[in-house]
Amino acid sequence: MTKLFVDTDKYGDESPSAVVAAFHGSLHEIVRQRFEESGADWKDFVLGDANTLITKEDFEAVDSDLVDAGHRYDWSAGISQKERPDAYKPAEGTSDADLAAFCFQHPDAPIAEPDAEGRELRGVGDNVVRYNENTTGIARYIRSTDRVLKWLTEGVPENTIAVIDDSGGTLTAPILEQFKGVICAGGTVRSHLGILTREYGIPCLMNAKVNGIMEGDTVSIESTARAKTADDYQGQTKREVTGNIWRTAKRDD
Amino acid sequence: MKLDYAQLLESNNLLQINGDETYWLCVTRTVQESKLFPVPAYMLMSYLNAFYRYPALLRKIEDNMSAEEVGDRARHMGAKVNAIAMWGLPCFYLLGREWMINMGLLRPQDAAEDVAYILDFWKRFELSFRRNSGHKTAFEGGHRGQIHSEAQLQVFHADLYDCEVGDSLHQAAQAFVASASQYAFLIACESRISLHNHGPYNLGDDRQMIVRDFNDIAEYDFPWLDDVAEGVPYNNLTVTMATQGVNFNIMDDWGSFESDPEFKDENIVGVGLYTSGPLSDGFLPVGMDSREELTQTFLDLNTRVKDAMSRLWQKMAGWSRDQMLDAGALTYYAIFKDMAHIAGCYDPEDWIKIDQRAERFRPLLNDEYSRDALGEICVGTGPSHQINDYMMMMHNDAPTRIYSPIPYSILVDGDYAPTVGGVEPGITYLDEKKDAYRTTEGTLSIDEYNARVRKFQPELYKAENRLFCETTVKYRYETPEADALYKLYQKHSRNLADKGAGLRRDDVEALRQKNNKG
Repeated sequence: MTKLFVDTDKYGDESPSAVVAAFHGSLHEIVRQRFEESGADWKDFVLGDANTLITKEDFEAVDSDLVDAGHRYDWSAGISQKERPDAYKPAEGTSDADLAAFCFQHPDAPIAEPDAEGRELRGVGDNVVRYNENTTGIARYIRSTDRVLKWLTEGVPENTIAVIDDSGGTLTAPILEQFKGVICAGGTVRSHLGILTREYGIPCLMNAKVNGIMEGDTVSIESTARAKTADDYQGQTKREVTGNIWRTAKRDD
Repeated sequence: MKLDYAQLLESNNLLQINGDETYWLCVTRTVQESKLFPVPAYMLMSYLNAFYRYPALLRKIEDNMSAEEVGDRARHMGAKVNAIAMWGLPCFYLLGREWMINMGLLRPQDAAEDVAYILDFWKRFELSFRRNSGHKTAFEGGHRGQIHSEAQLQVFHADLYDCEVGDSLHQAAQAFVASASQYAFLIACESRISLHNHGPYNLGDDRQMIVRDFNDIAEYDFPWLDDVAEGVPYNNLTVTMATQGVNFNIMDDWGSFESDPEFKDENIVGVGLYTSGPLSDGFLPVGMDSREELTQTFLDLNTRVKDAMSRLWQKMAGWSRDQMLDAGALTYYAIFKDMAHIAGCYDPEDWIKIDQRAERFRPLLNDEYSRDALGEICVGTGPSHQINDYMMMMHNDAPTRIYSPIPYSILVDGDYAPTVGGVEPGITYLDEKKDAYRTTEGTLSIDEYNARVRKFQPELYKAENRLFCETTVKYRYETPEADALYKLYQKHSRNLADKGAGLRRDDVEALRQKNNKG
């Protein structure tokens, strides 16, 4: 069998991602076949014949082999799941009906019984900017363009603390400035959503690990917590810097 | 390009510098995802397009203007030829290369001449662009981005209007910056490529100035802004911002900052506004004749930007995945396309199309594979990144590196493919670009724009001005030549016009205070 250079890698192990390992394994096999068929030296093949002998159909086969074997991809962009529902895992928490029962359930979210002030700890996050007061409002999830479009037309409900798993700044672009606060389950304080909430002066906890906060719950975020820095992320300060997220009242069902 | 031992040593050093910084930038932010855009998928597509097209496009630029001259010109405008663009030039190309190595489609020695050329171009540009600080990167300068000369900084400083929390100028400026930042993220399909900061510059008395650029915000290169952004009158806007009580301790190669204590709107104590581009001889003030005019200008621009943002969001929300992928990939890939504008050789076929060699890979780019493959190449966990067990990488001590060096053994066996060759035909799922480009001389067709740029001879780039550097000024500031140079920068200044080269920072501040009160 034709050997590729990657077949004699002294230090490199298999990719840590199962999907990447599967895709690259299939690709290596395609490259071996096409290289052998070309009959050329590698240095003539690699930036020459390979451009036409390795085709879009080959890449389609890599994808369909995995999907046909039953794998369903994680999705991040709503459009991906919408256009290929059979290739992706189901979408959850993207419609009003879903949200009646949906909530984030991070396994590492700290949870505690209500304290003396009735605040029930439901998670933590990285504070973007330290403010003088904590921020309280109604938790409302935003996981789809449909909800953004609706609120773009009707206005964001007052007192909304947006609960988002998207650390980007585009999903909520036209309505972000109407939020009272943001809990973001991804990113860091330097992610785009962190940058934008700082510019707008909106309290925000990024990289939030939360569990059990339901649509409509009243929540309070510890926007008085120390802001997290790049040094904190690199572990150079050796300190744990997070702000708490409390539920102060459950929604009325 | 001749490959000898010295050249390969330098190439591999430059490659390592960019790789170390890329790792740091990525781990302090995490890989971006978005519910709207397939971000990792478009990033990977952009890297492939970069791999196949950058070598030919950089050579095309240098057929018209050298990398170092482009660098000198870029310093005098707030266009998309800045720290993040120039970090992206080698990075996107090298990440594409690294990904292809992991896919088994390329060896580290293949395209060696392209790799060496791209890194050499990058080095010459950066040395020129950053010549006032003397560094190649913000990282090398301790995460500072001090780009400008004293002559330019004095104008920015002198013409700042004071403001404080609660006053109308402060509110208007802050609202505009927030809206423009968000609009910039949307234009750039979730990436931070359309906004950029540099500095800080020391104004004294616990004050620092940062310079904030917003790029590609009008009808210009991106087809998705055609008609949507027709009401935005400037393609590049630069906000100068004086702050008090904060130290910007990080201004990185992505043009984003950290400060101690964290920066809030109450720290903003002065603002100014400018536009610029390949046809402007430096920065042109916008609405700067009076404090009232500047306030009104920020308010007006804020309204226009928010209107364009709302229209753009609704347009994008109706896109197919292929359109989203193309728009994001082209935004990334074309990160330094303003160099082609500066050189007068911009062609939308070069910059707003996916090369057919890269297009083949589209079926791989589902969200999960893209997320994981991108994560591996950006933080060095894929097989190609692993090196011998004794080594400890900067930042994480692991035996890894982000980019594979060019092997020196090619100097013995000559076993490498030298180059990917020229640009091949491209495709896009997006609408074709309208032939309308908003410049500082109005809206032009691309042919007219290129022709005007090639004809344009900026005063600042005449040899006697371009080479009259900060060290020359230090010892020859009393000469007519220094005076003439400073007056060029001061040509449009409200408070410094015709003041010449003799002022120090405190003199400028005194003049500013006097005129702001007066």
